[in-house]
Amino acid sequence: MLKISNVGKSYGQFKVLQDIDLEVADGEFLAIMGPSGSGKSTLINILGLLDQDYTGEYLLNDKSYKDTSDNFLSRIRGDQLGFVFQNFKLLTTYNVYENIEIPLVYSKTEQHNKLERVEAVIEQVGLAGKEKSRPSELSGGQQQRVAIARAIVNRPKLIIADEPTGALDTKTSKEIMDIFTKLNQAGTTIIMVTHDEEVAQYAMRTVYIRDGKLYHDAKDVFKND
Amino acid sequence: MIDKIMIAFKSIGKNKNRNFLTMLGIIIGIACVIAILAVGDGFTKTMTKGMGTHNDKGRVTISFEASSYDDVTSGFTKNDISTLERVSGVGHVKLDSSNTAATAKIQYKTKQESTDLNKAPKHLKLYKGVGTTIDKSDMSNIFISHDLASRIFKGESALNKPLIIEGNVFIVRGIYKVSDFNYRPDIYVSKDVFKQLFANQITKNIARIYVQPNVNKKAVGKRAVKQMKKFGEDKQMGSYSVSNPDQISKTFTKMMNYITYFVALVAGISLLIAGIGVMNVMYITVSERRKEIGIRRAFGATSNDIRSQFLIESVVLCVIGGLIGIIFGYVLVAIINAFLPFKAIVTGYSLAISLSVSTAVGLIFGFIPSNKAAQSPLVGLLKEE
Ligand SMILES: Nc1ncnc2c1ncn2[C@@H]1O[C@H](COP(=O)(O)OP(=O)(O)OP(=O)(O)O)[C@@H](O)[C@H]1O
Ligand SMILES: [Mg+2]
Repeated sequence: MLKISNVGKSYGQFKVLQDIDLEVADGEFLAIMGPSGSGKSTLINILGLLDQDYTGEYLLNDKSYKDTSDNFLSRIRGDQLGFVFQNFKLLTTYNVYENIEIPLVYSKTEQHNKLERVEAVIEQVGLAGKEKSRPSELSGGQQQRVAIARAIVNRPKLIIADEPTGALDTKTSKEIMDIFTKLNQAGTTIIMVTHDEEVAQYAMRTVYIRDGKLYHDAKDVFKND
Repeated sequence: MIDKIMIAFKSIGKNKNRNFLTMLGIIIGIACVIAILAVGDGFTKTMTKGMGTHNDKGRVTISFEASSYDDVTSGFTKNDISTLERVSGVGHVKLDSSNTAATAKIQYKTKQESTDLNKAPKHLKLYKGVGTTIDKSDMSNIFISHDLASRIFKGESALNKPLIIEGNVFIVRGIYKVSDFNYRPDIYVSKDVFKQLFANQITKNIARIYVQPNVNKKAVGKRAVKQMKKFGEDKQMGSYSVSNPDQISKTFTKMMNYITYFVALVAGISLLIAGIGVMNVMYITVSERRKEIGIRRAFGATSNDIRSQFLIESVVLCVIGGLIGIIFGYVLVAIINAFLPFKAIVTGYSLAISLSVSTAVGLIFGFIPSNKAAQSPLVGLLKEE
């Protein structure tokens, strides 16, 4: 699915990411763990084609998008990727249906197909009947379900999730992870950032970031200290 | 496109108060544009209608202007008609007068003055007294204006008082009011009285020449004036000329141009202020909705999508303002019409101008904020809460 080699990123003198090598296979479910400020969000922003300002090489489905136009990147994001952000990132003035519909507006989906697709994902994440609710009328778990529905409505090949359970209690976290597991079993590749060991258990593989460096094995993380 | 406009309506609806205040400038600006264009159009229509009678096909008008201002007797005569009808190309000739009233000396007790006077119209609304007109052959009754009544009779009631006109005694039977916009003489007498005593005053200073078919009326007019200068009975007393409606339309056009400049100024200033308001509110909107922009961009919106979203929002805001402005414009026109001597009219053309102007304001003043929205770096936007 994707491969990065020797990727780095700095803000001025400050190196947020250094020498990152990572490969993710089709259908894989990868967890990225690491302390706050270690560079997890920075890394997945690069993987999600949201941030083009990095060094090194990144191939998504064997293609480099380093010199691609901004318009084309938007299309790739809309068609192939689905994001679940830290803190849900729902539009508070839009209802559940309208929030989930957003990716379809830009993929030029026909109006009648839109309704079908949105209803189907609402069903899939278990929010049937909540179409007209505002995010403020929903629990944290329900809001995260809306965010997941929005991420999958365009049937992306890769879902990138930043702390999808960060704001949720254990029971709700489990429900959300069950949705992810099902999506993964259906063939979607998932890259998920988390703080939580227990949540990381759902993934097939876990990698670790500390001070901008990536470790493939937990044993190696504190080796240099 | 339609769903983008729906999004715009929705976003505008979220901030009704703020957006209404912004629209206010456009509403006032557009209402002014509608009103002033309506006055201009109404004026044009009234004037061209008036000129139409001058301009009739197959007719040319020659007028006589006396050299002395006091001369109220010279003009075209019966013999002049014969002279004119012998000019080649002329069909027949009719005489007319541009004077609307005669002048007469009047007296009540010791008060004397000179006023204008005419035969009573068929229907006159009296302010005091009964009846609406004076019989054709009535030799003693007259109507006078409220102004004249208060000048001559001071505090007394003028009704049924005698008034001496050119040595003849008449009785005041009615008093009428004269509006600022409608000329009326100070005294109305019966038709017969007017004929006997004053008709000679209404000199025939206009000759309407009906030309034969397929004849150049301009050339006929020139020849006719030439003949009158040679053979006109009153040629010593004044000069003859072809009345030229183009002359009127030239001064009229000049006046219309001034009005147009004035429109441009008023409309320009109010719409400039309105535009700055729109720009301001769009800047606020863009910075308030950085999170929304980030989300849309992450889910496939190109920077062009974002630009057009905010541009459409700005245009929709201005067009809504424009439509409300048009409604207020109609109200303004109705109010203005209560004070105007002619009727201001709202034309389809002025509606089209108003809507184009509102759209243009939205596009021009929404452009920079929309660009700002489109070009913000994505990663920064997604950190927004
Ligand atoms: N625009 C920026 N300018 C300078 N430094 C930045 C900027 N954005 C992020 N950083 C720094 O980069 C580092 C990594 O940030 P990042 O958001 O990737 O952390 P994270 O691992 O996702 O943390 P968390 O678990 O709290 O979300 C942090 O130390 C942060 O201070
Ligand atoms: Mg983070």
